[in-house]
Amino acid sequence: MLRYLALKIGRALFVVWAAFTLTFVLLFVLPADPVDLLFDPAEVNSVPPEVRAQVAASYGFDRPVILQYLTRLGHALTGDFGTSVQSGRPVVATILDVLPSTLLLAAGALALALVIAFVIALAATSARRPWVRDLVEALPSGAVSVPVFLSGILMLQIFSFRLGWFPAFGDEGARSLVLPLITLAIPVSGPIAQLLVRSFATEFRSGYVTTSWAKGATRGGIVVRDVFRNASLPALTIAGITFGNLIAGSVITETVFARQGVGRMTQAAINTLDVPLVQGTVVLVAVGFALINLIVDLIYPLLDPRLRAALATG
Amino acid sequence: MSDLRTAIERTAIERAAPRRKRWPWVAGAVAVLLVAGGGFALTRGDASTGRAATTGAPVRGGTLQFALIDYQRSPDPHWGTNYAESLIGNNITDKLTWQDPDTGEITPWLAESWEYNEDLTEFTFHLRKDVTFSDGSPFDSQVVKANFDQYVHGDEKLGINPNGAILLPDYIETLTPDRYTAVVRFEKPLASFLQASSFTANAQPGFLSLSTLKLSAQERTDPTKVIGTGPFVYESWQPQVKTVLVKRKGYNWAPPALKHKGEAYLDRIVFNTIPEASVRTGSLTSGAVDATLDVGTTDEKPLADQGFKIIYRGVSGTSIFFNLNSQLFPTDDIAVRRAIQLGWDRETIKKTVLTDSYSVATSVLAPSVPGYVDYSGTVLRYDPEEAGRLLDEAGWKEGPDGVRVKDGRKLVVELLGISNLVANKPAYESIQQDLKKIGIDLRLTVVPIPDYTALLTKAKTDWNIVAANRSRNDPAVLNLQYGPALGNGSFVTEDSPGIDVDEVTRTLEALELTLDPATRKRYAKAAQDLLLDKYALVNPVYNPSQVIAHADYVHGIVFDAQSRNHFVDTWKSNGK
Repeated sequence: MLRYLALKIGRALFVVWAAFTLTFVLLFVLPADPVDLLFDPAEVNSVPPEVRAQVAASYGFDRPVILQYLTRLGHALTGDFGTSVQSGRPVVATILDVLPSTLLLAAGALALALVIAFVIALAATSARRPWVRDLVEALPSGAVSVPVFLSGILMLQIFSFRLGWFPAFGDEGARSLVLPLITLAIPVSGPIAQLLVRSFATEFRSGYVTTSWAKGATRGGIVVRDVFRNASLPALTIAGITFGNLIAGSVITETVFARQGVGRMTQAAINTLDVPLVQGTVVLVAVGFALINLIVDLIYPLLDPRLRAALATG
Repeated sequence: MSDLRTAIERTAIERAAPRRKRWPWVAGAVAVLLVAGGGFALTRGDASTGRAATTGAPVRGGTLQFALIDYQRSPDPHWGTNYAESLIGNNITDKLTWQDPDTGEITPWLAESWEYNEDLTEFTFHLRKDVTFSDGSPFDSQVVKANFDQYVHGDEKLGINPNGAILLPDYIETLTPDRYTAVVRFEKPLASFLQASSFTANAQPGFLSLSTLKLSAQERTDPTKVIGTGPFVYESWQPQVKTVLVKRKGYNWAPPALKHKGEAYLDRIVFNTIPEASVRTGSLTSGAVDATLDVGTTDEKPLADQGFKIIYRGVSGTSIFFNLNSQLFPTDDIAVRRAIQLGWDRETIKKTVLTDSYSVATSVLAPSVPGYVDYSGTVLRYDPEEAGRLLDEAGWKEGPDGVRVKDGRKLVVELLGISNLVANKPAYESIQQDLKKIGIDLRLTVVPIPDYTALLTKAKTDWNIVAANRSRNDPAVLNLQYGPALGNGSFVTEDSPGIDVDEVTRTLEALELTLDPATRKRYAKAAQDLLLDKYALVNPVYNPSQVIAHADYVHGIVFDAQSRNHFVDTWKSNGK
């Protein structure tokens, strides 16, 4: 069990380090220069060389790349990601500023996505008519296929501009969260719902369900009492994908609804090659990703007796 | 300092566009719903036209909800490469002078009067004595000195970049002979400094209090610590979302040319960052905002039809230009450069790409710049026959695929441009079509800003044309952009066939040598003649505009000479 734990934690640390290093390499391989992007595009060619050198030096961009990498890595280990090239603010403070907004959005959207997914799965399993079931089962693919910005703008047109129920931009108060939540939850719910529909169907045909049938249980009773818990377990395995979907979706959602957030900030940072800020956010996301996978790995043995037994003997 | 938006957020949406179309029916349904949604928006907008426009005496009070695409990276107005920073900076700080947007004349603001030495290396400003910062500290010559010193040199310890080094080249020092006299000295003549003292675009010399100048870049991200003398002061700043300004009590030094007495009319301005174009227009039509900047070319007419007012000012400085590389094949041949100038139909672009608020370029300078000369009837006309004749004469023969050939090499012209302005790509494509007809194969690489700056490093050897623009409402912008010792936009060197480098240098540098209006006008004409006619180094394309749509109850939004907005004179007739 201890070996299992050490292995999983080691893997998580590796993922975070790899993300840090890969981002650094990618940002330095790119032909564009963060210092150039501090000047106006039409003026880049007329920046006096000594001015350019002064700016580059103040960010440490004039030092050998390997030294820059080691310094950044060393500082990162102590939780210091430097200052944003574009704003001069510390990266950690910049991220912490916008993180709550994204967490709220992501957590809310995840909760809503789970509700949507379970409702779809239950509806598909409970449906007696094949065409109803087919229709319900098609919903998750539809949810994934609708681009976030389209559904977002569509909802804005109706619920914000036409009906005036919700604000169209900004993030003040609970009402401003409603439309972004729904927008982000729809695509995130897709993969979860697909997985649940399949696993509900599988469980429905398994032996213990037949026993329940034989005992005279109703269809609804079986779904709720027997199938629900066992069929939900596999959803945990795609927690990592779900996390990724939430982050990817938040970039667009935050942009369409003009919300503050990590996604939108990262995107702006990438477009301006704000190296410290990009690295800070990538590490944050990598930590989140690794943590979630680690937790899933650790919880799984607790939930699945077979795995527990295997670990104990192995 | 140009008005090229970073448009960081817009590209996100474009990139996120769906690639897969597995569910055509979903797309269909969505399209239907979108049309319905659009219909809703229209109905809503029509209702708003019922509001009657009230004119008359300005109403005090109220909050202006303003939308724009960008957000401030930092509340420090010296810092800054984007529009939001300069726009907001202009309303919390003041400048030494104010440039009249119509005449280009430099008029008093924080400086009541000024004089300069004959060499144009020393400028003496006599300051107003009644100006204070919002923290109560006085505005005086020490403040001017401290600001210019830090603006030009930066402060490495505080993490402040040399933001003003490009605007004020060869700055030596500021002397303070007495409390209200500041003498700014330069190593070389700098006639354009007088205009620079009024500069309101990105990375601007707006005056900050001595207490603010002592703060690090990090500390300046607390907006309440960024203290100016302007008509508004910071209330709050929420990065990526909004900046809130409130009226400065006791403000009484608006530029005399604006004829505004006393404090601003508005109590408060909220600058809302709204990246998505349809959300900006929807917010305007639904009344969530009172005015929006960054109105797309396709949104102008629908908004005007719904009763919203469209106001605009052409971006000052250069037009959107094609800088022709004078030492790279085939644009090292002046016949090719002239053929590019003559080979495209201005009318087509005007009809299909531009709106009423944009215009086809008639010189390398925008019409608002003092000294502008109209070349539309001469060098910058559509004359494909003449273009073809010039190419024939220079030995360019028609090749098998329609592209001309000379000495076995094809007439292929590589262009590097920026995709940030919506009209850029369609305008360039229209030129591409026309040039094809006369046997020039114009190849377009029109990309977002980071890619552009990366590719620009090889401009001299890889690109025949670099397409961009530069914002500065002074004819000396031509020296900054094309001076062989400065921007050298057309790469004029000893390797440029048939071009006298010294002549180019002399002609352009002359713009920094005089402030006499008549002489300067003559020099400006000489510079344009040289760039457009004699050496055909530039093919100007169009003049972009800053466009605002606002509700009819909003009055007095000012566009300055740099096409930035000032809200000191703005009021809402509903007073809300």
